[in-house]
Amino acid sequence: MSIEIKLSRSNRIYRPNELVEGKIVTKLSSSISHQGIRLNVNASVNLQVRGGSVGVIESLYGVIKPITILNKTVEVLKSGRISSGTTEIPFSFTLKDQGEEPLERFYETYHGGDISIQYLASVNISRGYLHKPLSATLEFIIQSEKENLPEKPLSPEMVIFYMTQDTQRHSLLPELKSGGFRVSGKVCTLCSLSDPIEGELTVESSAVPVQSIDIHLLRVESILVGEKIATETSLIQTTQIADGDVCRGMTLPIYIILPRLLTCPSIFAGPFSIEFKVTIVITFQSEQSKLHQKSNFKTPKSWHAMESVPLELIRTK
Amino acid sequence: MELKFRNRYYKAEEDVHSLPRVAAETHPLSVQSTSCGDQVDVTDYGGDKFFDPLRGSYGKPEDSMKDFGSTATEITSEPYKDVAIQFPGKEWTSYKKVLMQKFPVSKMISVSSLSSSIMKTCKGPEKSSANVHLEELDDPQRFAEEGVKYITLQEYVSHLTELKDEISRAWHANDRVTSLNLSIKVAKLLSDTSVLQLYPTLFVIATEILDMLGDMVWERITQKAQYTEDGTLAHLPDNFQATEICAEAKETCYNWFSKVGSIRELLPHIYLELAIYHCWRFLLEQPADNLPRLVMMARGIADPLASFYCRLYLAHCAQKIPQRNIGHLIISMNDMKTLLMNGELVASEEKTSGVLSGTRSSKLGLMEPAIEYVMKCLFKESRELQIGDILMGLGLGRNQSELFGNSSCVSLVLHHLLRELPIGIVCSNALDILHLIECSNDYSFDQCLNYKLLGLRLCENISHVKEVNLVMKKVIQVVSRLNSLDEYLNVVDTHIDIVLPKHMNSFLDSILDGIFERTSDEEIGENELSSLQSILLKLLNHFDNLENILQLNHFNQILSVMQGSSRTIINMRILSIATRSSCIRDPTTIQFLFEVSRSLHDNIDLSTIKDKENNHSAHLISRFIHMVDYGSEVEHHLAFLVQCRGAFGSMSEVKETIVHSSNLLVVKATRNDISDVNFVKSCIACSEVTIPSIPSHLKQLNLSLETAEVALMAGLVSHSDGLVDSALRCLHNVDLLEGSRMPKDVDGFQSTLCKFCSLIVMIPGNIELGVTSIPRNMFSILSSLSWMLPSMKAKVLCALILTVSALSQNNLLYHAIHDEVMGNDSLFFCDQQYLQELLSFSAVILQSLIDAVLQEPIQAARGNLALDACNAIASSFEVCQGASDICSKLVETAKLSLSSNNKYLQSTIRFLNSRGLMQGESCKKAGD
Repeated sequence: MSIEIKLSRSNRIYRPNELVEGKIVTKLSSSISHQGIRLNVNASVNLQVRGGSVGVIESLYGVIKPITILNKTVEVLKSGRISSGTTEIPFSFTLKDQGEEPLERFYETYHGGDISIQYLASVNISRGYLHKPLSATLEFIIQSEKENLPEKPLSPEMVIFYMTQDTQRHSLLPELKSGGFRVSGKVCTLCSLSDPIEGELTVESSAVPVQSIDIHLLRVESILVGEKIATETSLIQTTQIADGDVCRGMTLPIYIILPRLLTCPSIFAGPFSIEFKVTIVITFQSEQSKLHQKSNFKTPKSWHAMESVPLELIRTK
Repeated sequence: MELKFRNRYYKAEEDVHSLPRVAAETHPLSVQSTSCGDQVDVTDYGGDKFFDPLRGSYGKPEDSMKDFGSTATEITSEPYKDVAIQFPGKEWTSYKKVLMQKFPVSKMISVSSLSSSIMKTCKGPEKSSANVHLEELDDPQRFAEEGVKYITLQEYVSHLTELKDEISRAWHANDRVTSLNLSIKVAKLLSDTSVLQLYPTLFVIATEILDMLGDMVWERITQKAQYTEDGTLAHLPDNFQATEICAEAKETCYNWFSKVGSIRELLPHIYLELAIYHCWRFLLEQPADNLPRLVMMARGIADPLASFYCRLYLAHCAQKIPQRNIGHLIISMNDMKTLLMNGELVASEEKTSGVLSGTRSSKLGLMEPAIEYVMKCLFKESRELQIGDILMGLGLGRNQSELFGNSSCVSLVLHHLLRELPIGIVCSNALDILHLIECSNDYSFDQCLNYKLLGLRLCENISHVKEVNLVMKKVIQVVSRLNSLDEYLNVVDTHIDIVLPKHMNSFLDSILDGIFERTSDEEIGENELSSLQSILLKLLNHFDNLENILQLNHFNQILSVMQGSSRTIINMRILSIATRSSCIRDPTTIQFLFEVSRSLHDNIDLSTIKDKENNHSAHLISRFIHMVDYGSEVEHHLAFLVQCRGAFGSMSEVKETIVHSSNLLVVKATRNDISDVNFVKSCIACSEVTIPSIPSHLKQLNLSLETAEVALMAGLVSHSDGLVDSALRCLHNVDLLEGSRMPKDVDGFQSTLCKFCSLIVMIPGNIELGVTSIPRNMFSILSSLSWMLPSMKAKVLCALILTVSALSQNNLLYHAIHDEVMGNDSLFFCDQQYLQELLSFSAVILQSLIDAVLQEPIQAARGNLALDACNAIASSFEVCQGASDICSKLVETAKLSLSSNNKYLQSTIRFLNSRGLMQGESCKKAGD
């Protein structure tokens, strides 16, 4: 006995104004009677606060009450029987009901560290008290309506950066401090989700050989807890652009395809916000770096050089 | 049964039988027949067996590649291969093969800890790469200490093959994530360049795996793309556009690029994106637009070897998309150029810090294929008009008209550029290119070899070279500054091909002067020898005439510094040129060629292994000796022959020629009435002394007979007798079997004996020994030879019968020329005893002949032999009972073996009838 929800689109991506279509597929060994098949659609922003960034007391609360975007139930079938074998029961529903003001904005689906925005469709076949009800759940993905989106900018907004021994706020290895280095480049600060993050970087000079240059894509999630704002920065993805002591003066491209679900348009809502950041980390060769290969973007070591640039993500047409 | 010799009237018979003679208009061996000969040659070499010397060198490395099994070719038989992307396949496969052969790997390889840890986890796909990474992080010390491991190449390759199977298996089990993860692992192996020599092999195998993955991804998306937006199946044309692709296929494709894009490490990231690069076609109208970005990403790989090969793979993958774009190739080439220039600094630093520069240059050699391949692609993609763009892109050209305006280039890059440049550009810009080479002198490549290459390229189309004189002048200037012989020869070797056809004799003189100056004070090594060989061969082939060659400056001196096999080759060439003319008269030429031959002979003694070559040189020397002609100075000629005998004692073919030549001298002397008996005697003596030193008895026999004949001609009966004696001795020792079961050269041997018989006719009978002593001796020796076949024996006996019959004539068929030599007809005119002796001997022969015929085991052969015998008897004896009995018996034998309409049988019977030797039934029957 199995029950499954299948959506009309294999990528399960829908926009809020679109009709979501699909079918409930049951595979039964014998026919069953039921008291109606209902489909529940639930969308919410789930928030959680971990210890450290807020006070001890707040952290005890842990999970904060989720923000509901949508919660509605559609009756697919009235009570009756489902025959044995494979049965497909079609359904459809709209997210936005005409004339009805939604509870909340339809944020895009996002799977983050402390914040996640999820749209779930679950089916429930109740069979009276004697039998266990059959149920299944499926997540579908929401992207913003095309009509309201801005056009793709012709040229991305770029910021130029310089990294030298003097721009670093943490202590550096003495040889780095004395020998000096200069790395320049540019990276975009406003980026469409369908486009890669682009930019370039040039190691102009460095007395100490470079071991690696990595681009970290970070998310900055803030949640309003009481009167405080708990902000947590975490790593989404690291992309290496230089492996070893690269040739000086050669321009290296920065090109990062944004991972799906793990990114969404930057949000500044009242109770929470989701922002992104790009951090360029240069690791220099040194005896110590060999022993601590794990690079931590939060606490730079003395053989690291770092530069962070805020990144605004948008959905474009 | 009384036999009687038949009297012959030779003159009358000749008149009756000879055909009327008509003068021929064309010589049977003139032009037409030579073209026919050529055809035969063509068919000889045209077959599959034709041996290409250039292919030979591939033979050996291929063996060491056996370990790999068919990895290099497997890809073509993969079922995932798509037609649309197959076109560069063949070329690429062969390129990979060459790459592996160029850098063969020793059996044992050391594998660094990184690679080996990856290899270890190959088997278990459940262990993700992240885990491995974590392990390393947990205990970096352990990994560092473990250091280098040794595994066999076999193991390494089989690991990779396992991995490949695993990837394909996972894919077909719909576990595409595992496939991808394993492929990433394979790509990661390419970041390990610690075993330099292994890298090309590793590259070939790893890219094969990656190509396989790319093809599988392509296949999967193609399947999805065959559905249109509304779900109907439609065939996807080869030249599809991204706009035609349905959203689902695009989605899948984009997912792949996202997955690959999320790979943290740079090198596997680039390789994986390249592997599926052609899939950009589903997403973008201009997939080539992404290539420059990938080329630039490769800059992030600091290891020069890894980054060069990455560019090589990039150039390969770029060919899978239909759009052609040279932009990325130019960036790629310029990047490599920059890295090489940068490397120069590194190299010089390393030298000062004491690191062996040898490893540096071997690394350079490993990197070279990437430059070669990218350059090849660059010029393959471009059209003639774009050459200017390329040269400007590479920073060489200032503008479209000044293609080589800027001053210098990394010499290794320049080398490959020169190789690929269209010949028209090379020819019309030769001076600029020369200047460019002059300015480009760095560690990456030997400058001389670039000069050499330029010469080679210019030779492809000399007639189009602009300002050829200026170019050569410049070249001569450049080489004059080179002090090392090797460098000098390298450059000159190719440019001489310009000098020669253009008849720039002054340049040729200065080149030869230059070579001479540098040979006199330097050790000649292998390289120099082979260059010298090539140069001298070119000179020889160009002049093709010994006189002109000998007039060249220092030719003799330069030749004399050469040695070994190169010298042999040149010597052989000189001899074959010299012996092409009809005869060699000039004493200095003769002396020169003698020295050449002597050096050829002396060199050969050292290496007697190459039998074929030795035969050829012996042949050339013999030809030379044969061609020598001192005209009337026969004494000198004989002295020369004696000198040759001393010098070329180990070559039996040459000794044969000496005997022939000295015999020829006798003939000449007799003809020209130089009746100096002593000279003739010394010639004969020369032959007599030379003959016994020739190993083959058959050859000795032939030469003895020839000399005996010549001696007879000169009237030296005693010499001739001695020679006939030695001929008989040789005959006794001849063994045609030479260890095999069937005698060799039967026909030759038979004709030798026939010739012997014909010689006997001229030799005056020796009364003391018995007039038939020579034929009798011959007969008894023949009977004693155990290896003689009945058929051979029968034929020789036929000849003997004819000989004896000829001896019985009152007027012999022919006589010795010399007046003092009396024929048997004059010596024993009508001597009954003499005739009796001949008859009794012929009876013995007859009996033996009949026996021999009957012994022949093969029926048809027996019949023919019987007829041979019949003819001989019918020609030799008068009609009588005895003769006709024997003939009928032989005809009966023949009839048993041959069909009645056999032509030979019929003509023999007719002949017997005409002679009246045939009676009774059989005669009538056959006559019908």
